[in-house]
Parts: sequence; structure tokens; C-alpha cells
Amino acid sequence: MSFGFPWGLLALGALVPLVAAYFLRRRQKPVVVSALFLWRRPSPRAEAGPRWERFTREASLLLEVLAVVAAALFLADVRWGDSARVRHLVLVVDGSLSMSARGPDGVTVLEQVRREAAARVESEEATQVTLLASGGTPRMLAGPEAEPSRALAALESFLAQGADHDPMPTLIWAQELAGAGRRVAFFTDVPPVNAALVPASVRWTALGTARGNVALVSAQRRDEGPTATVTLRVARFGEAPEEVDVRVRALPGAGAKAGTERVERVQLPEEGTATVRLTFQEAGDVEVSLPDDALPEDGQVRLPPAPMRPIAVALAQGLGAPEQTALERFLAVSPEVARGAEGSATDGVLVLGPPGTDARVTVGAGGAPRTFVGPFFSEKGHPLLDDVQLAGVRWTAGDNPPGKPLVSAGDAVLVSEEADGRVHVNVDLSRSNVQRVSAWPVLLSNLVREARRTREGFPRRQLMLGEPLPVVTLAGARYTLVGPGGSRPVFGAGEVTLSPPTGPGAYSLERDGDVVDTAQVLALDARESDLRERGSAEVPAREAGEDDAGGNAPGRARWPLVLLLAALVADFYLTRRETPGAPGASAASTGGAS
Amino acid sequence: MDAAAVARLVPGLALALPRVPHRGLLGEVRATSAGSALELHDFRAYQPGDDLRQVDWNAVARTGELVLRIRQDEVSPRVEVVLDGSRSMALSPRKAACAREVALLTAEVAARQGLSPTLLVAGARPERAQGQACRAALEAADFDARDGLPESLGRLPPLRPCGLRVVVSDFLFEADLPALCARLARGASGLFLAQVLDAEDLDPAGGDGARLVDSESGAALEELLTDEVLAAYTRRFAEHQRGLRGAALRARGALLTARAQDALGALVAGSLRPLFLAAGAL
Repeated sequence: MSFGFPWGLLALGALVPLVAAYFLRRRQKPVVVSALFLWRRPSPRAEAGPRWERFTREASLLLEVLAVVAAALFLADVRWGDSARVRHLVLVVDGSLSMSARGPDGVTVLEQVRREAAARVESEEATQVTLLASGGTPRMLAGPEAEPSRALAALESFLAQGADHDPMPTLIWAQELAGAGRRVAFFTDVPPVNAALVPASVRWTALGTARGNVALVSAQRRDEGPTATVTLRVARFGEAPEEVDVRVRALPGAGAKAGTERVERVQLPEEGTATVRLTFQEAGDVEVSLPDDALPEDGQVRLPPAPMRPIAVALAQGLGAPEQTALERFLAVSPEVARGAEGSATDGVLVLGPPGTDARVTVGAGGAPRTFVGPFFSEKGHPLLDDVQLAGVRWTAGDNPPGKPLVSAGDAVLVSEEADGRVHVNVDLSRSNVQRVSAWPVLLSNLVREARRTREGFPRRQLMLGEPLPVVTLAGARYTLVGPGGSRPVFGAGEVTLSPPTGPGAYSLERDGDVVDTAQVLALDARESDLRERGSAEVPAREAGEDDAGGNAPGRARWPLVLLLAALVADFYLTRRETPGAPGASAASTGGAS
Repeated sequence: MDAAAVARLVPGLALALPRVPHRGLLGEVRATSAGSALELHDFRAYQPGDDLRQVDWNAVARTGELVLRIRQDEVSPRVEVVLDGSRSMALSPRKAACAREVALLTAEVAARQGLSPTLLVAGARPERAQGQACRAALEAADFDARDGLPESLGRLPPLRPCGLRVVVSDFLFEADLPALCARLARGASGLFLAQVLDAEDLDPAGGDGARLVDSESGAALEELLTDEVLAAYTRRFAEHQRGLRGAALRARGALLTARAQDALGALVAGSLRPLFLAAGAL
């Protein structure tokens, strides 16, 4: 048994005054009679005894209780056994950004979907609704088997801001939730590319309209000192203006008194994009906007400052003079590198030192020197050796360092890496020419790059919709990714690639509750901005589901109403009183007087 | 109890004594025992020990056998009034008063008629009174017995042979009515069952619903007083009355049903007429 409107059971509260009135009525009027045996019926009846016994044998009370219960069941829309009218409807809504596109009448596709979903729920008399939003990561907006009003309320507050994606995984999930033989309704803005590939039980409803659109397809901000460089790419899709004004507004930064606003008129090619690059001094957040069109969401971005985070590099004491000179010469010209405290070995600082120390990178050679001019054998594909060309190099090495060899010559290990990430460069620069060829800065750059990669936080601060979110975590700490859609724990240590965020906005990485880094996911996706292929279509499900059998299912069950009326009639018949002049009444009054 | 009404009625009434021999003190009514009265009752053969004065010598002469004349005593027969003292008799003040009045009228008329009235009150505490003490006993009678008349009779002294026995009760109890009537008729030349009923006994008014409480036992019954229930009561009451009347007839008695709400004079002229005759009719 189930109830379509459980609040109707509140009508059972009428039983309280009914039963109370029953006992009060009995208590109010004790009638003393001469001969109780003349009142007894042939069948044994309850005499003075437990109230419960009298309660259960009072036909009138039982009938009235039955009437109240029947009324409550009717109001609660009871469903019973096989006739239980549980109609589960699984709705899937396309969560991509293009669902926010306006039609010619200014109504968004998502708004049309809301109306259509509400109509579908009402027409199919669904009692339980499961609402899913498709996306790179399918989401359940309501359910499973939620009340229709809750599901529609969830749809009302849902914003489609996801990236372009394949809806099939969501539809398959929806099929599993709906159960065998049940149909799934999918609402989107584009007809299926190949209707044959749509799952057989899915009814595909496309409510989109082909529109032209001008959109930002990428936006990037780079802060170097007080200068912020904003790079924008603007694309034109379909029948859209050939020229647009790109309005860029830089809010005042920490050291500025006023902001800056610029409007750049951009010529848009038929196919392709136009690039706009602007610089601002001491700018805070930069807001970029395009004129409103079919999809205003892809014409507006907000770029917060994204300053470079230089890698701190420190040189440990004990380095030989050639090694120290060579390293300092590289550090002097290397961008995004800051000199740390001399001899420091704190966390987050890339320490370069002589062999035999606990520096992260050791440079130098101990023992008997051996010089090699080739051939050199390198670990192919290792990131530390990207673009490291050793042709023409004379490499003098000492004793082999510990760890896994990355570069070797003969039986000598020239570069090795230990399991904990420490790198040993076995080179005696006083006898080598490595520091005078391009392999030297390239090798060191790779070292700095790897240090940057393993630095805690987001390697990238600005991402587009649908891009996986890379993040670097440290072992032994508990991390949480907090975004517009809530928070979720981040498992794993080191370089972790998280699934693409479900929506645009600011995402922050928290370590044990403290914000470590912040990244911005922009609501930009060129595939979603292209509205030329959108359209409306209705592709019915190829399989006739069980829903069809109940297409004309009756509404609220009638039997409680019949039961209610029967109980009332029976109670009326039981408690009816004839008029004093009726034949039965006169016979009763004279029967015993003879 | 309206003693004045009783006093007004007594002079014009006489009890309808049965036309059979009675027992009792010496009086004017023919007794069941052989005696010295002038009126000849019967003849029989002489048996040793018989009074030779009663030998009908003329018959001896005619037949040559000793034939004895049997004459009956003339006695003043006892009248027993048994009043049911159960609580149902006090269902309403009028019912209790009516029962007292009927009992008092019977005793007073009997006394005026030269009979010896005895009042037995079958209550929780049995009472017995004779002659003029009957009035005081009736006035003091409490209808307090929590059982019916059959049980109350067990607490009374044994009923003695009498000329007339009048039992005043509502006879609304479950009992073996033939056995009860036979018990009441035993030793009595005549038996009248004076049934005093309240209006609610005859025609219950009912109501929306009630908790019916037995006046004697206190037992309760939840009942919705619908027309069907009231009609069923009426049916069962009529059956009870038929059974009671039949039992009384088989015991050579008579059932007289008095409506308590009626005036005593109306009852005497109506439903109690078989018990009370006009004084001149004797």
C-alpha cells in the first residue's frame, strides 16, 4: 500500500473527537432500567467490562470509524496491491550550457524544458519522479523516486552550465533507475545525430532553436608584477554580427584608485576567431562582456588576478665554485624563479647542493673522475630529460650516485633519480663543458618545471568548461575541493587530475580547512556556443514500455469513497429513528400495557 | 404513598375471596377443616376415633351403616400480602408509591372485611407485620434488595397456608415463572399477582444512546436505543408477560398489571378490579 498524498492521512485525526464523543456520550447518560434482560439481544453482547471490548463491539462506532478511515484513505490517494498506481517517471535534462540559450521569443530552452517536464509529469500522472542532469559527471537533481513537486522544484532551481558532453552514460544510468520496461524522457536542445543509437526506451525531446551567436571561446589572464595581460578569443557562429564591441572593465586593484574600462571593436571572420589582448596596470578583477545575444552566458567572464607563483630555489653551502657559478647564471635569467634563503632547506624550496647532502638536487662529482664524450644513454620520455640534447658534450663524472639511472655513459651514471624524487647530477663542471651548451639550462629548466608541477595547488588557474582539473596535493594531508556545487574530498597524493567541474565558478583547494589555492573555471565552451545545429525534435521511444499500459489509468482510487458512503448509509440505517406517529413507535408504546 | 386515597377507597371495597374453603381463625368464612358449623359439608363412613356426635343416625337407620356428618368450620381466613422489596420497585417514586398503595389497600380492605392481613416485605431485610402494623411497615419499607423476588422469598419466613395471597411486584426478573407461581400459590386458596409497572417499563422512551444499568444488579449494557432495539424490547416484554400470565393461570392465580402512573382509584376500577370488589357485591 502506498499513498499519493500522505498528508491526507491527517484526516485520521478526526478519530480522536469521534472516539472521545463516543465515550463521553456513554458516560453522560446512564439509564436505570428494571429488567436488563429484556434489553439483551439473543446474541451475547458486551456488558460492563473493558472499554476496549465495548469499543470493538459497537457497530455504530465501528461504522463511523470506518467512514473516517475511508475518507482519510481517499484523501491520501491510497494505492493498494497490484492496483497501486505507482508511476515512476525518470526525467533527464541536458545540463550543457547551450540549454541556457534564448529562443526567438526570449525564452530559454531550459525554461521550455521546465514547462514540458511539468506537463509530462501531469499527463503521465507520475507519482514518483527521478530527475537527472546529464553532463561529464551525471548528477541526480531529485530522487531517486522523489515526489513530483520536489523534482519540479529542483528543476526550477537548476542552471544548465555544463560543458559539451555525451548524454549516453546519463541515459543508461536513467534506464537502470527507471527499471526494465520503463521509459525515460530526455530533454535537450539538439536532435539526436543518429536516432538509432538512442537507447530504445528513451524518448528524446529536443526543444532548441538554431541561432547565431558570438561568444568568447577562451579568456586568459596573466599577471606579471603590476601588469595584467588579458587575452581573449572571440568567435562568431552562424548569422551573427560581423563586428562586436568587446567591453573589458578592470576593477581597481590593491594599489590603484580607479578602474579602467575599454571597449574594443572586433572584426569577426566568417569561420575562425579573433584575438584581443589587453594590458592593465594594478588591476583587480577583470570583467569581460559581449553584447547580449542568444547565449549571453558565453559572452561574460570575470578574471580574477592570477599572479605567477615563482619557484623558490636555494643553493646549499659546499657547492664547488664552477657548479655555483653555473647554477647562479641559470637562476639569474630563469623566469618565475626566486632565490630562497641561502642554505635553507625548508618545504617548498628547491634546494641545490653538493653530493652527499640531503639537497633535492645535487650537482657535482666525487671520486675518480671519468670523462665521456658519448655515447650517452638517456631514459626516453622522462620529463627531466625533455629536449636535453647531449651531442658534442664532454661530461666528466665521478662515482656513480644512488638511484635509478636517467643518463648514463658506459658504466657511469651521469644523472639518477631516487625513489623520493631526489635527483643527482654527477658532473664535474671544472672538467666538463655541459654548462656551456644548451643542454644545461634545459636540464635545469626541466628541474624547475618538475618542482613547479609538484607544488601544492592548482597548476593552472584558469580553465575552460569541460577541462579536467589538475591539482597537486601533498601526502599525509586531507584535501577538499570546494566549488559552486559544493565540496568533495580529493583523494591521492601528488599530481591528481580531477574530473571536469560540473559548472563554472571559483574552485578552491583546502588543506585541513585552510585554502591552499584557487582556480577559476570559465563558462566558455566553443562547442556549446555553436548554436547552429540546435533544433527541436521529438523522437519517441522505440520500445513500448509498461507506461503505455497505464496510459489511461484512473486517477484517485474510488473504492475508499464507496466505502465511506456505505459506512455512512449503514450508520444512518443503524441509528435511524422513526417519527413518534409511525406504526412501529406506537406498537412499542402499547405493547406491554395489556 | 397516598394514604388518604387508600382510606377513601377502603370503605367501598372488599377482597374477592375464592369460593373454596379457607383456613384461619374462627370467623365467617367456610373453612377447609371439619368443624362444628351448622352448614353440612359432606357425609362419609365412620372411622374409629370420630366424634360420635356427628353420626347421622337417620342415615344409620336407613342404611344400617355408620355415616358421619361432616360440617366445616367457619373461619376468618388469613390474607397475605407479599411486597417485592427489590430495587426495581423504586425505579421511579411513583412506582414505589403505587406498590405501597396497592399493598396497603389490600391489607386495609382485608382488615375491614374481618380477615387477618399479614404483610411480608421481601426486601434486603425481610419484614413481617400484621393488622394495623401493616401501614407502618409499608411506610418504612425500603426497596433495597439487590436481587429479584425469587431470591428474596428465600429470606422470608416460610409462607403459611392462607386464604388469599396477594403478591405485589413488577415481576421483571429472569426466573422460572411457573415454578415461582406454583410456589406462591402453595398453601393459598387464592393468588393474585399484582404487577406494578412504571411507564418506562411499559414504554421506554429511549434516547440517542444510553448505558443501560440494571436497577438491582448494577450490570450495564451499552445499547444504542434505536427503533429496532425498542421494538425488540417491546417484543420481549410481551413474551415475558404472556409467560407470566400463563404461569399464574396454571397456579390458579391471576395476573393484574397496574400502571403506576394511574391513580389508585382508576386502578381499582380498572386493572385491579378482579381483586377488589364493591363492598355490596358480596
